[in-house]
Amino acid sequence: MTVTEPETAYPVDQPALAVEESRLRRVKEGARRFFRRSPLSAFWGCIAAAIIVMAVTAPVLAPYEPLKSDFRAMSKPPSERHYFGTDQIGRDVLSRVIYGSRASLTVALGAVLFGTTLGALWGLASGYFGGRFDIFSQRVIEFLQSFPDLILAMAIAMALGAGFGTVIIAIAITRIPFGGRVIRAVVLSLKELSYVEAARGLGASHLRIMLRHILPQCVAPYLILATTHLGVAIIIEAALGFLGVGIPPPTPTWGNMLADSLNAGLVPPWWLVLFPGLAITITVLAFNLLGDGIRDILDPRLRGAV
Amino acid sequence: MYSYIIRRLAFGALTVIGVSIIVFIVLRILPGDPLVAIFGPEGFTKLSEAERARYMADLGLSDPLFVQYLRWIGDIARGNFGRSFFRAESVGEMMLRRGPLTAEIAVLSVILSWLVGVPVAIVSALRPNSLGDNVSRFLSILFLAVPGFWLGMLIVLAALFLFGYRAPLTGPSLLSDPWGNLQVVIGPAVVLGLGQAAYIARMARSSLLEVIREDYVRTARAKGLSRRPVIAFHALPNALLPVVTLSGILLGFVLAGSIPVERAFGTPGLGYAMFTAVSERDIFVMQNLVFLYAVVFVLLNILVDLTIAWLDPRIRYR
Repeated sequence: MTVTEPETAYPVDQPALAVEESRLRRVKEGARRFFRRSPLSAFWGCIAAAIIVMAVTAPVLAPYEPLKSDFRAMSKPPSERHYFGTDQIGRDVLSRVIYGSRASLTVALGAVLFGTTLGALWGLASGYFGGRFDIFSQRVIEFLQSFPDLILAMAIAMALGAGFGTVIIAIAITRIPFGGRVIRAVVLSLKELSYVEAARGLGASHLRIMLRHILPQCVAPYLILATTHLGVAIIIEAALGFLGVGIPPPTPTWGNMLADSLNAGLVPPWWLVLFPGLAITITVLAFNLLGDGIRDILDPRLRGAV
Repeated sequence: MYSYIIRRLAFGALTVIGVSIIVFIVLRILPGDPLVAIFGPEGFTKLSEAERARYMADLGLSDPLFVQYLRWIGDIARGNFGRSFFRAESVGEMMLRRGPLTAEIAVLSVILSWLVGVPVAIVSALRPNSLGDNVSRFLSILFLAVPGFWLGMLIVLAALFLFGYRAPLTGPSLLSDPWGNLQVVIGPAVVLGLGQAAYIARMARSSLLEVIREDYVRTARAKGLSRRPVIAFHALPNALLPVVTLSGILLGFVLAGSIPVERAFGTPGLGYAMFTAVSERDIFVMQNLVFLYAVVFVLLNILVDLTIAWLDPRIRYR
């Protein structure tokens, strides 16, 4: 994480190159510390990075077209030609699992970027202003939290109709209350601190205090929350796909591949069940453990709070 | 205590009203056209303008929204949960027929999660960073990442391959056929129970580690009590308070989690009905089921709060 320094706080006589270099050194130093303090999290962080790379480079990595059926190889178990086997209409399962990471990661990232961020900003505003706005916000958040995540996401996804955008919106809405709660609690304790009072005394506007003085302190809890939410969002996306309200076929997602396997006959072939689920598990595990590591480093006090 | 109960219930009633508004907004205002859902896009285009208007009026969808909302609430208050587009059975009958199975799964899974989670946490917390602690911590992190419905599919497949066994697809009631009932219920209960056990083990471990360091535990040890009774009677009851809260919250999530899990096992419970309603885009059934789930969720939260207040006088007297 890089912290943006205020421009005037440093003496400006040092050459820009040195600043650049020291920043690079700080990033390297931070990465090294991360590896030393929690090697397990760092390892799983690398796996998470590998999964992201896999999603980006899917067309290069996938041995076959994910949508092309090969009618000479239908429902074939794993072999030399198809490492993960083929499904009932002859599509290569390995290629579909690789392409499936795109849907999962896009939805998870989109949901967290919209939902957790919107919730966090809302929590920032309601914690800072307090009063009636805060009470109203707390009620709305409580109503939203009266639904189990999956049920709310299902209802919204069904009402809006299946598609990429609707799944992102559906999951994002379930993330809002969590972002709101956590960040509001942080802001409530921050706004009583004397440096905020000092800023107010100097005549800073509300917007300036919120953005320049309080927001930077919320970055750590936000990052921790966001990485945890990535894992949750991936599981909800898979469940929506499995229930048939996620991203509709033929676009491969891990959830709709699992749903598809149930249509492959009375007994689903084991390779159609095993590999997509394994992909979900490894991805979620990677993001969860990465989140744990980030939390330990940024703020050990938040252990269990988020 | 009584004023606490009354305050909590009044607050719960307010939440239920808020929840009903959200359900109504999501399922009645957002969708494009319910007739498309009933007749399908093709059937919809074949209908004439007049027919469309007549169907909308029949379904009560052409009235102003707040009239529709009040009518829905009034129907529910009279115990009328409406009817599916596609089935003869009313939604109320369906809830009564299928609900008990899902409730059974939920209760069984909570019992299982305590039976697995708490002993694991005790073993973990008494020897932190030992091999056993590390293994159980890894397993609990793993089970947080495993989607329950996938685990369910794997169990169904394994039972089929290894024993050629498949659970019956009808749901006999607990009283008439306990053995058949158990066969249907046990699979989802184990899957959902393990998922909760992971959370419970994590929470109970950290809570127990904190409590063990308290003064009263040291006092009990200092006055000569041996380790076992101190853990069992002094540390554990206090350490388990946050676990009770967590378990209640998890119970609500189990209700939601049972939807894909029941689909994976083919269990004929309420979760499967929810899946059917979603795949048929049956808006009225969906609306009532989502509302039912949310109300149960709110009631469970109240129940948990009251249990905690009953167990912990510090909250009761605040």
